[in-house]
Amino acid sequence: MRNVMVIGSGPIVIGQAAEFDYAGVQACRALRDEGHRVVLVNSNPATIMTDPEIADSVYLEPLTVESVEAIIARERPDALLPTLGGQTGLNLAVELHEAGVLERYGVQLLGTPIESIRLAEDRERFKAKMIEIGEPVAESRIVTEVEQGIAFAQSIGYPLVVRPAYTLAGTGGGLAYGEEQLRETLLAGLSASLIGQVLLETSLLGWKEIEYEVLRDGAGNSIIVCNMENVDPVGVHTGDSIVVAPSQTLSDVEYQMLRTASLNVIRALGVQGGCNIQFALHPDRSEYAIIEVNPRLSRSSALASKATGYPIAKIATRIALGKRLDEIENPVTGLTKAAYEPTLDYVVVKIPRWPFDKFPLADTALGTQMKSTGEAMGIGRTFRAALMKAVRGLDLGYESLSKAGLGEWSETELERVVAHPTHERLFAVCELLRRAHVAGGVDLAIERIHAACAIDRFWLYEFSEMVALEERLRCIAAEADVATALEYGYSRKGIARLAASNPEVSVTPAFRMVDTAAAEFPAKSPYYYLSRGEMDEIRAPAREAVVVVGSGPIRIGQGIEFDYSCVHAAWALKEAGRSAVVVNNNPETVSTDFDVSETLVFEPPGADEVEAAYRATGATGVMLSFGGQTAINLAGALAERGVNIVGNDRTSLERAENREQFEEALARLGVARPEGKAARSFREARAIARELGFPVLVRPSFVLGGRAMEIIYNEGQLASYAESAPPILADAPLLVDRYLAGLEVEVDAVFDGTDILIPGIFEHIERAGIHSGDSIAVYPPQILDQRQQARIVEVTTAIARELRIQGLINIQFVLHENELFIIEANPRASRTVPIIQKATGVNIVGAATRVALGERLRTMPYGTGLQPPPPYVVVKIPVFSFSKMRGVETVLGPEMKSTGEVLGIDATFAGALRKGFLAAGVRLPSSGARILVSISDEEKQAAVPVLRRYAQLGHALVATSGTADVLEAAGIACERVKKMAEGSPHVLDLLHARAVDLVINDAKGSRDISDDYKIRRAAVEASIACLSSLDTARALVEAMSGTAGPPRSLQEYRSAPATIES
Amino acid sequence: MSGEQPAALFLADGSRFDGHGLEYEGVALGEAVFYTGMTGYEEALTDPSYAGQILTFTYPMIGNYGISGEAAQYPRACVAGTVIKQIAHHPSHHLSKQSLPSWLDDERIPALIGADTRAITIALREHGTIWAALAVGEDALDGAERVLANYARHATTRDLVPSVAAPTQRIEGPADGPHVTLVDCGVKRAVLRELEALGARVSVVPYDASEETMLANDPAAIFISPGPGDPTDLAQTVETLRGLVGRKPLFGICLGHQLLALACGAKTYKLPYGHRGGNQPVRDVVHDDVLITAHNHGYAVDARTLPSELESTMTNLNDATNEGFRHRRLPIAAVQFHPEASPGPSDARRLFAEWFRTAEIPIEGEERD
Repeated sequence: MRNVMVIGSGPIVIGQAAEFDYAGVQACRALRDEGHRVVLVNSNPATIMTDPEIADSVYLEPLTVESVEAIIARERPDALLPTLGGQTGLNLAVELHEAGVLERYGVQLLGTPIESIRLAEDRERFKAKMIEIGEPVAESRIVTEVEQGIAFAQSIGYPLVVRPAYTLAGTGGGLAYGEEQLRETLLAGLSASLIGQVLLETSLLGWKEIEYEVLRDGAGNSIIVCNMENVDPVGVHTGDSIVVAPSQTLSDVEYQMLRTASLNVIRALGVQGGCNIQFALHPDRSEYAIIEVNPRLSRSSALASKATGYPIAKIATRIALGKRLDEIENPVTGLTKAAYEPTLDYVVVKIPRWPFDKFPLADTALGTQMKSTGEAMGIGRTFRAALMKAVRGLDLGYESLSKAGLGEWSETELERVVAHPTHERLFAVCELLRRAHVAGGVDLAIERIHAACAIDRFWLYEFSEMVALEERLRCIAAEADVATALEYGYSRKGIARLAASNPEVSVTPAFRMVDTAAAEFPAKSPYYYLSRGEMDEIRAPAREAVVVVGSGPIRIGQGIEFDYSCVHAAWALKEAGRSAVVVNNNPETVSTDFDVSETLVFEPPGADEVEAAYRATGATGVMLSFGGQTAINLAGALAERGVNIVGNDRTSLERAENREQFEEALARLGVARPEGKAARSFREARAIARELGFPVLVRPSFVLGGRAMEIIYNEGQLASYAESAPPILADAPLLVDRYLAGLEVEVDAVFDGTDILIPGIFEHIERAGIHSGDSIAVYPPQILDQRQQARIVEVTTAIARELRIQGLINIQFVLHENELFIIEANPRASRTVPIIQKATGVNIVGAATRVALGERLRTMPYGTGLQPPPPYVVVKIPVFSFSKMRGVETVLGPEMKSTGEVLGIDATFAGALRKGFLAAGVRLPSSGARILVSISDEEKQAAVPVLRRYAQLGHALVATSGTADVLEAAGIACERVKKMAEGSPHVLDLLHARAVDLVINDAKGSRDISDDYKIRRAAVEASIACLSSLDTARALVEAMSGTAGPPRSLQEYRSAPATIES
Repeated sequence: MSGEQPAALFLADGSRFDGHGLEYEGVALGEAVFYTGMTGYEEALTDPSYAGQILTFTYPMIGNYGISGEAAQYPRACVAGTVIKQIAHHPSHHLSKQSLPSWLDDERIPALIGADTRAITIALREHGTIWAALAVGEDALDGAERVLANYARHATTRDLVPSVAAPTQRIEGPADGPHVTLVDCGVKRAVLRELEALGARVSVVPYDASEETMLANDPAAIFISPGPGDPTDLAQTVETLRGLVGRKPLFGICLGHQLLALACGAKTYKLPYGHRGGNQPVRDVVHDDVLITAHNHGYAVDARTLPSELESTMTNLNDATNEGFRHRRLPIAAVQFHPEASPGPSDARRLFAEWFRTAEIPIEGEERD
């Protein structure tokens, strides 16, 4: 037995999401199956991989060289597996190697050797290697002068891509179609580059983008797990493209040409494990170029695993341990070996989920910078069915290829989006096709669209067939059309919305198996998708089945945390002697690993699919409270279809969401909530706001999760809110509440009708008004006293009883002037469930699952009431992806903006904060940092003591004039910097030059277009931490002045609490 | 869609799978088999080894990149009929000259579209290869079951090779290249291309050619091509080959592998449902590695019956069937799979050059020792 360390990928950010939890869990399992001991390091608490059941020692510690070295020093692992933690894990492993840490402690790197990693990651060396083995790469040259670039262009031709080196977010780059444009772009690019260097590259724009997922063992045996074709040609990041597996428009000659090239590349690099290779393939001749190689598991490998059923991470881990592909069993068939290539008899489509619904001001243009937060995957017998399932699975309300509102767009507007892609391109293409179907000239329209965007005609004809069907449904809705629509993956609701009439047509749902072998061999895989009117292959589970409904694609506000709960629900069902049936469509996650449940139904978690899974497995119940709002929203539709919902059901949901009913109940229980009223117009809203007094919290009542929710400080702001907010609808008024500043508190509890279980209470660092997902949260409470905590338990119990909770409830409170107000109650698992479960070790998802099955808390081992606090402190810190989102305001407010979170655990509050900030990527110089401060008038006085502490630690403060005045008056020395209006050099120059280490710029009352906004954006572009709340600044200085204890595993924290010392 | 008419596949066990047809009406009779490759339909439909078979594609979307003509392995379609889940009427590819449905109609191949191809595959897997009828059009459907019952009583694979093998001798390849003979049992174009690419001048002789014909021009080696059906149907070819053992280097592919095995004294048997696809893993014992290979065969060589002078060189990782052998002393070797790919992966392409070296045939562009 060996001691093997696995490094995770840290917090979820755009470009690095739940796929590495999926990969990491498989890796840990494979390592333990082979008899090894696993030491896991990951700062992300919402992951399954950081559960103490997955690894022998779990460290929720910052992913930095120092912290991992300290862990290596105490765990003394024999080996490190570096290729499963995304780019973060890979980079960290390389840094550990370069810092000599691995050598010092005798840690062997498993799998792909460091030299191969370097070869693949270093652009120049990679290119040289490819030329050496005769594989084509895009022609490129590094230039430092304009004339050099012009000469290169003359030798290879236009268009050229200009990529300045060392700029952020691609500033200064672009495409050049001719000499004049190249001159301009080069000038801009060279000046934007910090080192005056630009890479010129042949443009592959419009070529087909094709990916191959390859595995190679140490003996040199290589296989292709899957190839994938992007519907969006080269030019849009593959993470932002619609991707289809397997490729559809490649002939066998082309497929094999790229397959052979993939094997040549992986062999030349010496990869031992998984590798992703991206190709550009010319649409009109058999010419290709290698775009990129990732010598590790990636988002694409997770997609390929789910698309084929082939568990890449598991097999890659075995390879890293020295196994050959022909020695490893194929776990899907159990009959064949891992050395073979999956073949599909279905089609898989992935569509990205973008956060633009959350960020109306964000730049929605799609290009080389990935912007999506998650993805939905559809499996269908045909592309059409797979596409429709993926579209529906986005959970954005789309039930067809017709997007509401696009019907009013002009042709010019539509064509602009077709040529310059945004998240709406698919729908714009379909709208143009729809118009062509109505007016005639479909072939011509397809030619025009193809000319504008280079999307292959094959896809356009496929879309066209679906649009034609939608038009037939609108006009006639013959029975045959309805049947076809069901076969194409449309939902009953979607068909009813489209159809002129709604004939009762039934096409029997049939579950088909994902078996990696196109039915050539009998498989034992429990992995299914739905088709219509075909042979049903589902096997009824041996034991009583219960359906767990998943949460769909990862988006801001509904992330990996909900998948965590679903996985635990499935496990709890198994422990309780039931068979878990999971319905979900997120290819990245652990819940869609067919090892997790007894039956995996890879489908959008919609009413049709959940009902079909329920009936096909003979399930006795459906659980909706773990899959976030997506799942709980199905309560009504499923109840109407006679589906038995166990745990929280429609009653709980309606009682929580019916504002009047809920308020009455609160009044009865003697619980206060912020005063507020519903406004039917903005005029009415103004009157209500005046009556309540500013500030007020406003939000449209039809949206959930804080969308378009804002704190309004004055009438001017209300007026501008009225301009930008969605219109007030008759049946969905605007809610105007009094805004109560104060300590925000969050509770997750399990209620069984009699008893309550509260593992712990979270206090938020930031005052109420910042979305709970964006707040720093601490456990156990540092401020609340015993009496206040007892009151929270009392109120939580009363509300749970009132809402008829049978399982989980999440409540957010605000303590305003010593009085407890309730802000929100959710009858479901919340974002904080995995955090509290990890922090306390109390399996509340398990408890809730068993309560839903009819068990009582008293018969379970978790206890009842509020659990006693541990002798350590846990701090959750949100992590944002602002650098990926141009134009987005970074100020925090009632609308959630973070994409992930990290945890800091330590014996002291300051120590936990310190670890948390480090894990979140905030550098913490103990002294000597330069800190830019610009504070609003409202907060200036409150800021003085906080800023004084920074100054006392020996940091230099740089302040804008107003703030400087206040600081100097308080006797705090500072350097002055000009505001933008005061002329250069001003505050932005300071940021562009990266002459400061930290920015504190609160945002009371300022809106998106102000100077402050520019400061914050400039900080983001320059990768300088920017705090927009004084509370966060206070926490950071607390962290800076404290010291953190040595790293400790979660198991140590939990098992020997008395011995924890700082 | 114009010309959409009822169609069905009938298996001899009484099962029936419904869908619709293309414009061509008629009945196809033959063995029902399935192909698991996701690309390569043009190569498969024109592969002579599929002669007399009703080919079901397990991949559901077929015809996406049209028919190029360049990918064809034979001057015409070779399958008796085909079953496709969804056929592309609007193909897209720069080499496409015709859509698959219109080509199938031109080739007068009955096609069943829209049927549950996975259910058919499972039926074939469970039952094994089976006689079947594919009927397109009301008239054809009417009598199909009776026709099938009658056919199944007398059906044979005996006339398959003669139906696709060239009846007369011809010579292909560069005029000045080293001479080799290719025994044509229904050869794919790709095999010829591979031999020509190595610089060989190839005498293509009929499968039933005499020993003299095979030895004409004093070939440096004799290659026995792939082809359809049961190797034991070709007793005369086996006899001729037996007489050549020890006189010339002999190399066989697929049916050629089985014929060589029989000629050397081994036995063949019918696989339950054959191997047809492009993802079969084969362990190469000589190189100690794994090759992903293209397959298309319903029969196999029984490794236990290999005479002592033959050694097994390749084994299928899925079902442990024999995939290759070589003679311990003589330049004789053969593989069950298709190193020429087309369709399928070309991991095993190295074999052609290896065989040339074994036979000491100079390879164009390679330095001589």
